[in-house]
Amino acid sequence: MAAPTLSPARPAPAGPARPRRSGSRAERLAPLALVAPAVLIIAGLRLWPLVLGVNFSFTGDGDRDGVMVGLDNYATLFADPLFRTALRNVGLLVLLLPVAVAIPGLLATLIYLRVPGHRLYRGVYFFPAVLSPVIVGAIFTLLLAFDGPLNGFLGGLGLGPVDWLGDPDVAFFVVVAVHVWATFGMALVVFLAGFATLDQSLLDAAKTDGASFPQTVRHVIVPSLTRTIQFVFVTTMIGMLTSMFGLLYVMTSGGPEGSTYLPEYYIWIQQGRLNQPALASAASTALFLIMLVVGLAQIAILRRAAGKED
Amino acid sequence: MPGTRPARWVAAVPMAALAVATVYPLVFTTNVAMKTRREYVLDRFSPADSFSLDNVVRAWTSVGMSRYFLNSVVVVACSVALLLLFGSMAGFALGRLRFRGSSALFLGILAALFVPFQVIMVPLARTMADTGLIDTYPGLVLAYVAQFLPFTIFLLTSYYATVPAEIVDAARIDGNSVYGVYWRIMLPIGAPALLSVGVLNALFCWNDVLISLLMMPSAEHRTLMIGVTSLRGQYSDDIPTFAAGVLIAAVPVLVVYLFLQRQIADGVTAGSTKG
Repeated sequence: MAAPTLSPARPAPAGPARPRRSGSRAERLAPLALVAPAVLIIAGLRLWPLVLGVNFSFTGDGDRDGVMVGLDNYATLFADPLFRTALRNVGLLVLLLPVAVAIPGLLATLIYLRVPGHRLYRGVYFFPAVLSPVIVGAIFTLLLAFDGPLNGFLGGLGLGPVDWLGDPDVAFFVVVAVHVWATFGMALVVFLAGFATLDQSLLDAAKTDGASFPQTVRHVIVPSLTRTIQFVFVTTMIGMLTSMFGLLYVMTSGGPEGSTYLPEYYIWIQQGRLNQPALASAASTALFLIMLVVGLAQIAILRRAAGKED
Repeated sequence: MPGTRPARWVAAVPMAALAVATVYPLVFTTNVAMKTRREYVLDRFSPADSFSLDNVVRAWTSVGMSRYFLNSVVVVACSVALLLLFGSMAGFALGRLRFRGSSALFLGILAALFVPFQVIMVPLARTMADTGLIDTYPGLVLAYVAQFLPFTIFLLTSYYATVPAEIVDAARIDGNSVYGVYWRIMLPIGAPALLSVGVLNALFCWNDVLISLLMMPSAEHRTLMIGVTSLRGQYSDDIPTFAAGVLIAAVPVLVVYLFLQRQIADGVTAGSTKG
């Protein structure tokens, strides 16, 4: 489970500072002393490394350690078939994103409408979201093994065995499906929190007017939940780009034939296994740019869609 | 509208099936962990012949899983304690006290939320190596604190902003220093938020793979999640023992989930509806 990234919409409650008695110097400095440890840690170990890393990506590896090499790393990166596969996979994730959002959205809607057993579903669906990708990956490695239970089950139905994790055309989709299985509960809970803010009278009105289920979803629920939907889109995308490492590490190691590489896995291999930190930094910078672009594009698209609905 | 009864029941069928699909993999794994190797090879699905913890005991004792478990417990406990301490100090200062520049500082901390670990891991590893913190417990704890502190501060700042200013003023009139207000009033008053954010942080740290892999190269320093993956290599032909190792790593999470599900959900959804 990755850190859920939160929407940036709530800066410190604004407004002028409350008038304070002018205390001693130590008292006036107290707020600064209270934030100091956090600021030092975040500045030193989160923000400064970002600067270092970008700078690092323009230097060389091995013999050329510390030497400025311009854009050489980026040239190497984009010429590397493994990194290109990683980028292609990012593209696939963007395409699959609406599905990964729609599934929990639909389920949350049904739970909100009190489908029989709705109390139970919420607790059950959310559970895999708190399990480590390592555990999820290990369990599914067992279930999806070529001679494993799923193929055994399909064989019983007369369907041929599928090499779930060994077929380069299939493996990436399988890993994404497992990721969605493991994380849809997170988005579901967020959707349900959004539903809790929904104006019940609107729903009642729709019911009185005889609106169908699809009509209700389209004209009442979606417009009321714009903010929640936007939040889920952005966090789901960030989750896909930054918290599938554990699954890849356990389930496929990037294979077969490098077909399940994602940028984060590429960075890890270059840094941790192949000792090419500068090249890894270039990949990190590329990942950061991808996330910025995808995030901003999503927000822009969703804003426009929301504008049309209003 | 599926307001009508039959329509609701139709929707309930796939939802129940999905609930089964959500739970089954874990049930399967538990069942496998109870089987002998022979039983597993003969039939993977059938219920285990007996409720036997032999595999769990073997996994626990043989390849250092107990050591990895202890490593994880110590690292998670220290990380969460520091996260709550620094997070509540900053949250109180930014959310309740406020001072010149506090809004800008809060925005800077929010910006850090959007820098994923993958983007900074290379320079971070180098810094940790330069300072001799790599492959040490304090180093790993520091890496976790740095990773999850922005999120922690975000939640606690929102929480402390809802505490009435009068409480602070009254405590000050009673002669408390700012630190006294923090320690005697704000920490106890923040208990629900601290519990929620603490549980979430504990899960993040317990479940982490990448940071631990990067920070702890030596085998004896491994955390439990990395230990589970190494178990795989060790017992590639003994799936039941491997499954038992997976269970050892999953059960603490299951227990926490059963008791604190609401707090976990509160933490996950914070920030999604406000603003």
